[in-house]
Amino acid sequence: MTGGTVAPGPPDLSEDGSPEGLPEGLPDGPSGWLKARLARIRPALAWIGRLTRHQVRFVLVLIGSAWGVVRESMRPNSWRRTVREEFRLCLRQVVGGGFLSTIVTATLAGLMVVSQAVYWLGFAGMAQMTGSILVSVLVREISPVLVGIILLGRSGMLVLTEIGMLTLGGQIRALQAQGMDPFLLLVLPRTCAFMVGGFTLGILFATNALLMGFIITHASGVITTSVWTFFANVLAAMSSWDFLVIPLKFILVGFFVGLGACMTGLLVDADDTIATLMPRGFARGIMTVMVVNILFILGG
Amino acid sequence: MANEGAILELRAAQPSFDESGMAPVPIDLRLMPGDCAVVECRDSARATLFADLCCGMISLASGNVRFMGLDWAELGDRQFYALRGRIGRITRRGSWLDLFGTHQNIILQQLHHTTRPTADVVADAMALGLAFGFPGLPVTSPGHLSAADLARAACVRAFLGRPDLLVLEDISDVLPADAAVAFLEAITAARDRGAAVIWFVRHAATWADYRSAVNVHLRLLDEGLFPVRGV
Repeated sequence: MTGGTVAPGPPDLSEDGSPEGLPEGLPDGPSGWLKARLARIRPALAWIGRLTRHQVRFVLVLIGSAWGVVRESMRPNSWRRTVREEFRLCLRQVVGGGFLSTIVTATLAGLMVVSQAVYWLGFAGMAQMTGSILVSVLVREISPVLVGIILLGRSGMLVLTEIGMLTLGGQIRALQAQGMDPFLLLVLPRTCAFMVGGFTLGILFATNALLMGFIITHASGVITTSVWTFFANVLAAMSSWDFLVIPLKFILVGFFVGLGACMTGLLVDADDTIATLMPRGFARGIMTVMVVNILFILGG
Repeated sequence: MANEGAILELRAAQPSFDESGMAPVPIDLRLMPGDCAVVECRDSARATLFADLCCGMISLASGNVRFMGLDWAELGDRQFYALRGRIGRITRRGSWLDLFGTHQNIILQQLHHTTRPTADVVADAMALGLAFGFPGLPVTSPGHLSAADLARAACVRAFLGRPDLLVLEDISDVLPADAAVAFLEAITAARDRGAAVIWFVRHAATWADYRSAVNVHLRLLDEGLFPVRGV
């Protein structure tokens, strides 16, 4: 039937539930006034939200993907032969590629830090503090930073470029089309390889820096003890906390440098190029290294 | 259930326009084991998008896409990646990882998704490689191969293993003539094993030799997917 009476029914409501037909700008009671106010400040709030999300996006991605790597690495099913092979290749690249740089940098650091510390502490009559100073300055603070920078420069940027180019070229999507999760195939093994590589290079760095410092100071006659006594003094100056923190720093620096490089590569924008990708990756990598070390200082 | 046993089923699947750019029209398609659907589509980009849709790589505004009875949208990450491992696919766009040699690219999917001994996978790949005109398996980087050799390699990769669904984009313009028979034989062998095939073609001449064996003929246009009479 058409025409005739109109059945009474609920009033027409707009999408947000407010009655339609009210003149714009006229508040309808306290709730209307509140809505009008909110409508005015909504763009500003949205802008602040966008800015905040943009700034902390990478940090949130890093935290989330770190949890993802830890969780996936615990599953035996994740370590398929393709993932294991990728881990092996990346570990060889990280340790092999960074070995010489680590040795050279550690030698220079040993020459500068150890010889200077031994000389000046002896000059000040505080030679007994040599071990603790070397542990706290060289092994605990300087080594993780320098190893992190070596990891980033020698291998992190390579990983970033490789994955970034795969993403830009659509090859990551092709991987997904074949049923291969890029996180499982690329991020997990590479992050774990960086973690193991960070620990390996870190221990090499610390040992070599101390050894080179000893050789120089011993040759110049500043130290007359044997190398065993020197290392025994360094070990004696280490607390049980140091035995935990120092390897943990190397491990975490490697972990986050690798993860940061992988995720920066995976999250490139369509208009990114190598010219925009590499500086961003480098800045993020340096920040990651510094933040990990600073967090340990604050925690200690 | 009526749809039991279908390898691929698109039921009023309406792709999300915002994500894919595909026309938001509902698409219906049902492929049983052994079916071969030839989809005529002159626009290779559209064909690629439709192939992505079948592989669960494009989100839907409504409807669903089921592969082997499982709705892509309802699967978790691990499940849909595992399921995609059962699809053999030939793509027109570059889908080769420059990180690895071509031989590794070819066997990567099988090594990742199966526990078959590597030697067996390599032997199968070698046999397919010989069938498609390679002297063995190409070990150089994909970037160093010619378009024709990449097309052969794409065929080897797609037909390797026992895929349940073959999604074959049209590479007839780059696939050498001596590999054409091997291509059709590989399709027939896969269908005999129970796989379903979607074969995108741009020209009728591409599949003329196989016309008698094709049981579904469709045309993909902007307005949707339409059946064509006279197969």
